[in-house]
Amino acid sequence: MNGSNSIFKPVRMVLLFNFLAFILMYFYGSENSLNVLLLGLAVIFTIGILYHIIKVYDWGDEYLFLIASMLCSIGILMIYRLDPDYGIRQIKWFGLGTAVFFLTFIFLGKTKFWSSKPMIYAYPLISIFLFSVTLIFGQRIGGAKNWIEIFGINVQPWEIIKLLYVFYAGLFFSNRELIYLPTVNLKGKAIKINSIFLFSLISYVHLGFLVLQREWGGAVLLFLIFFSFLYAFDNHRSFLFVNGVFALVGGFVGYLLLDHIQVRIWTWIDPWSDMAGKGYQITQSLFAIGAGGFFGTGIGLGNPEIIPEVHTDFIFSAICEEMGIFGGVAVVLLYFLLVYRGIKISLRIDNIFYKAASFGITAIFGFQTFIIIGGVIKLVPLTGITLPFISYGGSSLISTFLALGALQAVSMKNSFSASKVVEADE
Amino acid sequence: MSENKKMLKIFVFISILFITVICYLSYFEIFLKEEVVNNSYNKRMWITSSDRLRGSIMDRNGEVLAYSTFNNDSSQTRIYPYDELYCHVIGYNSNIYGNSFLESKFQKELTGDMATNKLLDIKNLILGNEIRGNDLVLTINHDLQTKALELLEENSGAIVALDPNTGEILSMVSNPGFDPHSDYIESNWSSISTDDNSNLMSRAIQGTYPPGSIFKIITSTAAIESGLDEYIADDQGSVTIDGKIYSNAGNEKYGIIDLGKAFSVSSNVYFASLAIELGSENLLQCALDYGFNKPIDFDLNVKKSEFSTKAFTDTDLASTGIGQGITMVTPLHMALVASAVANDGIVMEPYLVSAVMASDGTQITKKSREKLFDVIDKNSADILKKMMIDTVETGTGKKAAITGITVAGKTGTAQNEKSDSEGKDHAWFVGFAPADDPQIAVAVFLEYSGSSGGNAAAPIAGDLMEFYLK
Amino acid sequence: MFEILASFLKYVFIIIIYYFIYGIIRLIYLDISTTTHTGRSLSSKDPYLKLINRRESLNFKVEESYFLDSTKTIGRSNKNQIIIKDPFLSSEHAEFVFKNNYWYVFDLGSKNGVYVNNLKVEDIGQSLNDGDTIHLGQLDFIFVDQFDRSDR
Repeated sequence: MNGSNSIFKPVRMVLLFNFLAFILMYFYGSENSLNVLLLGLAVIFTIGILYHIIKVYDWGDEYLFLIASMLCSIGILMIYRLDPDYGIRQIKWFGLGTAVFFLTFIFLGKTKFWSSKPMIYAYPLISIFLFSVTLIFGQRIGGAKNWIEIFGINVQPWEIIKLLYVFYAGLFFSNRELIYLPTVNLKGKAIKINSIFLFSLISYVHLGFLVLQREWGGAVLLFLIFFSFLYAFDNHRSFLFVNGVFALVGGFVGYLLLDHIQVRIWTWIDPWSDMAGKGYQITQSLFAIGAGGFFGTGIGLGNPEIIPEVHTDFIFSAICEEMGIFGGVAVVLLYFLLVYRGIKISLRIDNIFYKAASFGITAIFGFQTFIIIGGVIKLVPLTGITLPFISYGGSSLISTFLALGALQAVSMKNSFSASKVVEADE
Repeated sequence: MSENKKMLKIFVFISILFITVICYLSYFEIFLKEEVVNNSYNKRMWITSSDRLRGSIMDRNGEVLAYSTFNNDSSQTRIYPYDELYCHVIGYNSNIYGNSFLESKFQKELTGDMATNKLLDIKNLILGNEIRGNDLVLTINHDLQTKALELLEENSGAIVALDPNTGEILSMVSNPGFDPHSDYIESNWSSISTDDNSNLMSRAIQGTYPPGSIFKIITSTAAIESGLDEYIADDQGSVTIDGKIYSNAGNEKYGIIDLGKAFSVSSNVYFASLAIELGSENLLQCALDYGFNKPIDFDLNVKKSEFSTKAFTDTDLASTGIGQGITMVTPLHMALVASAVANDGIVMEPYLVSAVMASDGTQITKKSREKLFDVIDKNSADILKKMMIDTVETGTGKKAAITGITVAGKTGTAQNEKSDSEGKDHAWFVGFAPADDPQIAVAVFLEYSGSSGGNAAAPIAGDLMEFYLK
Repeated sequence: MFEILASFLKYVFIIIIYYFIYGIIRLIYLDISTTTHTGRSLSSKDPYLKLINRRESLNFKVEESYFLDSTKTIGRSNKNQIIIKDPFLSSEHAEFVFKNNYWYVFDLGSKNGVYVNNLKVEDIGQSLNDGDTIHLGQLDFIFVDQFDRSDR
């Protein structure tokens, strides 16, 4: 009757990819452990069943999860190839991630807790608390002080904070008129302070903590999200402009004062003059991408392990080496589709909280992807940040699935509200 | 709703970012990649892929000069049957210190990374055959190479022999050398890489030295080209130019001499005066014609020979005319200068690798012969050839003579930083034979020889050419 | 073994991923033209038909909503004001008419009929109230009318 009945349905492509990927993983390395085949079956079943639940029970957008699964599958294959132990762990994180996705969706779909007004105070307070804990107990890994150890597991609080920030922004823009700010008397004139200053202040506090932690990628990401919110949900063009100028000045002063930033800029402009030192990572990344050609060397047949931190920040370079430029472009296209679905969800919903929250999550996916991919291919200065769904790491994967669950919940509200959109908003 | 429109704009912005990434990736792949990948810091260039056996290197007659074998742990060992003999041609191949010379320049071909037929790989894999990289066939004549190193004995220096008609390098040796096996390289790296003797450097192509009197070939060419071939000077053993004294070797006086005579006896007095007469413009133009200050296309990196382009004083000009001063040359380039005279004024592009062969014997690439420089016309070349024949028959190059074969050549004794203190001049000889139908052109360079080109370098060149031609 | 598999699968993986992307883009293509129409719902007082089906699951182009600002016919043929290429629709399937202060739907003799709140529409037509569901062909619409007509 129509094309969706063809054997080439997108979900079957994801499952087929995993099927072949796990067979390849089985033959990779010397162990040929059956364990990985069993895990592969588990992954295939998880994706297949969850997708059908989403479709049959009409849980909103059916493609979000599919696209995320495809990205995760590419990530798992690549990480397993780099280090089978990490790969096994990533598969387990993926399982936990889908559970988090499922629970987030149920919880946010059924309760109004996350959009209730008191949370407008709770979100920033939790964020600041988490930031402080990170600063005090944090461990410095690779320049940035952004990890804390809880029960022997390394957790990166920033991954959660960015979602709290987006929820906060959603609540702020849906409750602006309720926010009370004192009027200021200036030369006898009473001036009412626009509530947008409060939002900006909270945003800059976040930014300040990120700079203190030297989490440059996070700082850039947060600023882009902040800027997108200002642009889309606030009508003060001049304020947007002032913030833009502020960012440029801040960046320039940071460049003058902070050695770290100078190094990043210079290794971006000319990594070749110090290939053995500061330019090492980025040049190794470029060598890897160059080695791949159009179709790549084939999984397991290249040398991506030469790149430092290849399984987290530089995973995209490894994909380009072994799956080629075509593989790399495909990954970018997948993120594009994900962002497209996300924007579509936020365009269709009328409730401002959901609109802003889903928009913020989508913007995180889009900008975070650009910051790290642009960095490893030397299009923009390199700032360490994970590639959503693909990079190795529990914190990153869990928080990304949490965000995806929230997005899914919003898309569900979307189709739910379609039948009574009028009553809901009038 | 205005939010929707603005959100759409943000979406368009993110889309533009993504498109930029895709465009830049494609741009990188198509335009930037080649330069980046060939960077010597790219460890991928060194890592011998454990599954594919590195290709062999053979001389022009199929003599194997380098090959690899598998070890038990599927790593590979590179074996050089003639040890030091080819260390400055083939180089070394180490997983730690990378590789050099042909091992480096032909890495892709030898490992088969770029130029191998993948279907052939799969066929071999299924048939259980070894998967191999590609083999290189060199232009080197192994017997001549052996003879050249033998003749060099313990002398520091270099010998280059090539076929002037084709540009094929027949032999290229440099002393002192090193054992290219990777276990030696890896255990002695710190000493050989910092050694004052520069063992790792090929003196034939990477070292530049003052040419001494062999530069008089270029000065003579400039004279012939600018119509000064009838120039006559009264040689009284020495001449003073701007307060600087130029004297002949052994202070010999030759009286009134012409270009041919002055060339064969290598009169400094004559050539210093001739250079003044020529002027720096003519001399510079002629040097450029011969390839000074120009890169030489070759299978290995060759240092440029330097000829000063700054303003010349008369003493600069006189010194340059007799091959002293600040002119610096590589032995390979001097062999090419000899080949220009041998080959009617045309320098063929020199090459070492004549063909790349796939492991099933099919030829992947073959070097085509190309003209490198068009220096002079046949008439000028014939005049120079006559002068060079006279040099060997009656002049300074007598010791290069071969019975029954006419040899053409020019000797040089070059002053250097050790000349005044230790009296250790460099000895040079360039030439070719047989003069009427040249088959071989050579440059012999003996560093800090302490002897003259005629006494030290000429006999080596003569023996080598005789060995090759008989 | 691994190498043959890996060097073969690298092409297969690329093909699979691109086919996946193609599958999703194809669906995006089907509904992209309507994304910008959503803005009208709040500004207009005209009633409209709101699509309940997920457009992604339909193999033909269909708008999110159709405004009823005058009499409109719906069907596959290009003569209609609302053209939907649903194979289960007749070429001229149904007509929406405003008379006596009410909107009515008439079946124009379609093969598969028109259903309002799951009841088949007879020849005399059926008046429509806010929130009624209308089923025709494979399509399900909700009739949305925010304007309180009882005052008139």
